[in-house]
Amino acid sequence: MPAAIRNLRNNPHLLFVRLPKLLSFICIVVGVVWLLLLPLNEYSRQTYISENALLPGQVHAYFTGSEQNIFRGYKRELEGLLNDGQARGGQKDEAEVTAAVSDKMQSILQAAGLKVATQKYEYTSAGITHQGENTYAIIHAPRGDATEAIVLVAPWITADDKLNLNGVTLALTLARYFKRWSLWSKDIIFLITPDSKTGTQAWIDAYHDMHPASVQPLPLKSGALQGALVIEYPLDHRFQTLHIVYDGVNGQLPNLDLFNTAVAIAGGQMGIGANLQEMWAHDDSYEHRLQTMFRGMTKQGLGYATGAHSSFMPYHIDAITLQTKGEGWEDEMALGRTIESLCRSLNNLLEHLHQSFFFYLLMQSNRFVSIGTYLPSAMLIAGNFTIMAIALWMRTGYYPEKPSANPKNEKAPAEEKAKTNIIAERHLALPLSLVVGLHLLGLVPLWVFNNIFHQYFTTTTYIFVVVDIVLPLLLAAILSNGLGLSKPIIPQQYHLIKSFSLLLLGLSLSTLATLNFSLSFMIGLLCAPLSFVARLRGSAPFRLTISSLGLVLLNLVSPPTVLLGVCWYMGVSVEAVLTQAAFGWDVWGMWTQVVVWCVWWPAWLIGCVLLGSSIF
Amino acid sequence: MRVLSLLSLPFVALILSLWSSAAFASSDYHEHLLLQPLPQSSLLASFNFRSNTSQQSFDQQHFRYLPRALGQILQHAHTKELHLRFTTGRWDAESWGPRPWNGSKEGGTGVELWAWIDAPGDEEAFAKWITLTQSLSGLFCASLNFVDSTRTTRPVVSFEPSGDHSAADQLHLLHGTLPGEVVCTENLTPFLKLLPCKGKAGISSLFDGHKLFDAAWQSMSVDIQPVCSADGECVVQIEQTVDMVLDIDRSKRSRSNPIPRPVPNEQLVCDTSKPYNADDTCYPLEKANDKAWSLTEIFGRSLNGVCPLTDSDGSSDQSVCLRVPHERGVFISEEADEIKKEDGFTRCFKLAPSVPFDLSIPQQPVNTEVPLDEPVLYAERTIVGHGQERGGMRIIFGNPSNTSAVDFIYFESLPWFLRPYIHTLHATITGHDGVLRKVPASEIVKETYYRPAIDRERGTQLELALSVPAASTVTLTYDFEKAILRYTEYPPDANRGFNVAPAVIRILDKAHNAPIYIRSTSLLLQLPTPDFSMPYNVIILTSTVIALAFGTIFNILVRRVVSLDEAAALGAQSLKGRVLGKLVAIRDRLRGKGTKVE
Repeated sequence: MPAAIRNLRNNPHLLFVRLPKLLSFICIVVGVVWLLLLPLNEYSRQTYISENALLPGQVHAYFTGSEQNIFRGYKRELEGLLNDGQARGGQKDEAEVTAAVSDKMQSILQAAGLKVATQKYEYTSAGITHQGENTYAIIHAPRGDATEAIVLVAPWITADDKLNLNGVTLALTLARYFKRWSLWSKDIIFLITPDSKTGTQAWIDAYHDMHPASVQPLPLKSGALQGALVIEYPLDHRFQTLHIVYDGVNGQLPNLDLFNTAVAIAGGQMGIGANLQEMWAHDDSYEHRLQTMFRGMTKQGLGYATGAHSSFMPYHIDAITLQTKGEGWEDEMALGRTIESLCRSLNNLLEHLHQSFFFYLLMQSNRFVSIGTYLPSAMLIAGNFTIMAIALWMRTGYYPEKPSANPKNEKAPAEEKAKTNIIAERHLALPLSLVVGLHLLGLVPLWVFNNIFHQYFTTTTYIFVVVDIVLPLLLAAILSNGLGLSKPIIPQQYHLIKSFSLLLLGLSLSTLATLNFSLSFMIGLLCAPLSFVARLRGSAPFRLTISSLGLVLLNLVSPPTVLLGVCWYMGVSVEAVLTQAAFGWDVWGMWTQVVVWCVWWPAWLIGCVLLGSSIF
Repeated sequence: MRVLSLLSLPFVALILSLWSSAAFASSDYHEHLLLQPLPQSSLLASFNFRSNTSQQSFDQQHFRYLPRALGQILQHAHTKELHLRFTTGRWDAESWGPRPWNGSKEGGTGVELWAWIDAPGDEEAFAKWITLTQSLSGLFCASLNFVDSTRTTRPVVSFEPSGDHSAADQLHLLHGTLPGEVVCTENLTPFLKLLPCKGKAGISSLFDGHKLFDAAWQSMSVDIQPVCSADGECVVQIEQTVDMVLDIDRSKRSRSNPIPRPVPNEQLVCDTSKPYNADDTCYPLEKANDKAWSLTEIFGRSLNGVCPLTDSDGSSDQSVCLRVPHERGVFISEEADEIKKEDGFTRCFKLAPSVPFDLSIPQQPVNTEVPLDEPVLYAERTIVGHGQERGGMRIIFGNPSNTSAVDFIYFESLPWFLRPYIHTLHATITGHDGVLRKVPASEIVKETYYRPAIDRERGTQLELALSVPAASTVTLTYDFEKAILRYTEYPPDANRGFNVAPAVIRILDKAHNAPIYIRSTSLLLQLPTPDFSMPYNVIILTSTVIALAFGTIFNILVRRVVSLDEAAALGAQSLKGRVLGKLVAIRDRLRGKGTKVE
């Protein structure tokens, strides 16, 4: 051991140059392997209900019998209104049909003895206007005082763009049925939104008085919201399983207890299977667990709203969507009973859901890993940048390199010792201003991609691909030659630029890992090459070849190229993705773009500049 | 408009006037029950019990109708006037109209208590107040002992004594609320024990905890006050009321089968005019308001005759009244007499003593309805904003009248951990057409009485004199900051949030001396709550260890190491020693730090 330490001290090249690279590489490998280990039984855990008050499935659900007749009655009534509009074709305006349906829903809810109100809203994003009208009704808790409430949401259009007639009808039938019960300790709010994207967002914003001017305030309110359930039943036939969607905006998740309660009630009490992340045939194998986890991570990382429930999450209201899937023998009454039982469980809550995890990765409806287990994975990847940054900082101060130096381990130890004693002065002004400037430059694409009209998105993306090729070379040329603007850069400053850039990247990613693990992990992996690119030394042809090759490879992992590649692989249009992203930024308050353009892109750009400077 | 609403329960007003004329008998007891069906198949049952004791016999501790337990508490705590309220649920003003007794007999959700205490100073008054709350807590099985200094306020303009007090008394008004208190049967039993007939006979025999606390809204009140006649003869009056709004459907469900199961198919009432109406498809027809009910069905027991202690003179023998249109048929027990009043809606019943009385109303289509007036003012209070650091309060006052403005006092007592920023208090006016009107805030908020909170000692007290113009809505907003509590100050259910007491609105009415009271709903305030679990303990432990380590290292770093003779000079307690010490220190500083190392 002492011998090893002595060896290290005598060999600064190993300490400052080789060891950090090795450590960084090990960090990345261990981080990835760590993630791959998570689905194993030894690292993941069985889910359990942490909040004792929930008592899932302990009550008998009575929603059966003649309630089904009423369900059919309501359905025929609404169907009649919708078909009326369709039959007349162009004669009847769509707005007229919407108004008629809204009136009908209001009259049904009013007749059932609920307080009804409506809310109009309008959002504009990427040149597209989204408008609609929410209808909602409140069952006052029979002995309550408007302090707490549960929300049941039925969007007219589901997250998959299908007409949710059964879901809306079920909500109306449940409203009439719930009104008769005297056991509610919380108000129950029934919210019928025109779609899954905007309606709940407008409603929940207005509920907390945080709405923009284009959204009407709510005329009717209740107390603190304790939980929300979204009902989606877009099928014309009986269903087989329930698909539980739980991802929120910016990767926020509802309390695990809510998900577990839904699984326990659907599976245990009602005998309906529960699926997640579109894994229809989950055989609990390692591959399927990993696949489920990756799908969850993708949704979390992209941070978009996966359903009407997502908008509740930023307000710390736990919410899930129940989607009916498949063809089986479960009918709407089974779904109704599931929701009744879930509402009864939520009704039991004495406190806001807080007992269980808010940070978790699910890999099966009854298996999860919590933040303590998975966090090291993203932290290691973020840590690799920090290690490299610190090493470069040390190296610039204590290990001045002469361009001609040919560090070999066989060199005389005395000469090395003499070198280590030199304390070099760091020239910080240029590296600092360059790194800060390039990070600020990230605001330009951020603004552009959130503010231009949707039809220009594809063109702009290609423009940015070109910009990403040209800009690093241009910057590298200016830095190397000065172009009369400044003094030519010295090698130490290249190290400092990289050090600052990686320091910022490591700092941002490790902070992000605690908030949105998946996003941090994904960006960390995409940025991993940046730890290892630097200005090359050697003969001119060698530098030219290697750096050009490196630049081509780096350009393959640039933000716009990755976007194009993923869109091509998934078969979706770039415009659709970017429109959605701009919509997320404008309406949902999505932050993914900020991370992409102000963390990832500047770091990537600096990596390219360093590599590009080897050419000049 | 306002006059109408004041007389919204004309019969109650009539009874009140009759009573006030008879109020000076030295010792008497009255009870009265008013039943009134309300829209949405609800039934308002308003019970009132009132008795007097002469001041003389009260002072001599000679109690007859006034309960001794309560009388002695009042004497011990020097309380001259007492108002105690137990309330659950929410009055639905939109459907049910103005509140019974104009809101003067109800409190905010939970328990509310206010009293005028005779004491020479504030401190003494507070000591008496604590005595009073502790004693009442034991008497009514309520957590009134938790009304401490942080929950006690001294309203300036919101309450006025309703009794006649002698000028010699130095009265202090103290007011306390417990918004989180759950009112239940354990509060009803002591309440009934205060009555002369103790729930065995008379209208109080209808009280059944199961039905009373299944009500959509219910309020129990105890008021004690001295009442003096013009010739100076004084009596101590105790008035107890129970008001409740029962859901007729819910109350009619039998105890053996309380679950509202789906009805059998053949009992469904369907709209047969629908083309799709079939055996398995039904568009339900909701029943009209005129539902059939009877006293035994609603209250689960029949009325047990008359309390023999009631005065047999005057109106008090007609102890049960019902407000339905005269055209509606009402069946009553044989021994009782029905007396219809001229207003067309009220009928009273003369009960036979010690014979059970029942009353039933069949389902019957009626043309006329009992008119319900519109409330003078609608008020709604909600917490807005999100996050654990800041929030905002939004209060909306709606004036439904098209002609007259409403002047009122808005009183709010906030817990100390909710820190309002009064400079952010803004008022805006919107017309009924939804258009924002430009009116300076000073025209809306006339006067402000504000007493800021002191952490852990007292809460914020805010009284505003406001005016809402005709046909408009005033929105009052202010921001607040949420305090972080010490970890021992959190209750066991910290994540539920903290209850904020309902606001009290007193509508000033110059025409009538009886003010109208409205109370908002209570609120739930989410405070930054630590995770009271293992990670939290780990954080605390780690922080402690770091603090200890930091302290030690910091100590070593900043401690000045001096030689022994210098230390002796420094340590000398004499003036010379201290001055020398200073000089040495200055010399050290002048020479620079380098010398210190050597």
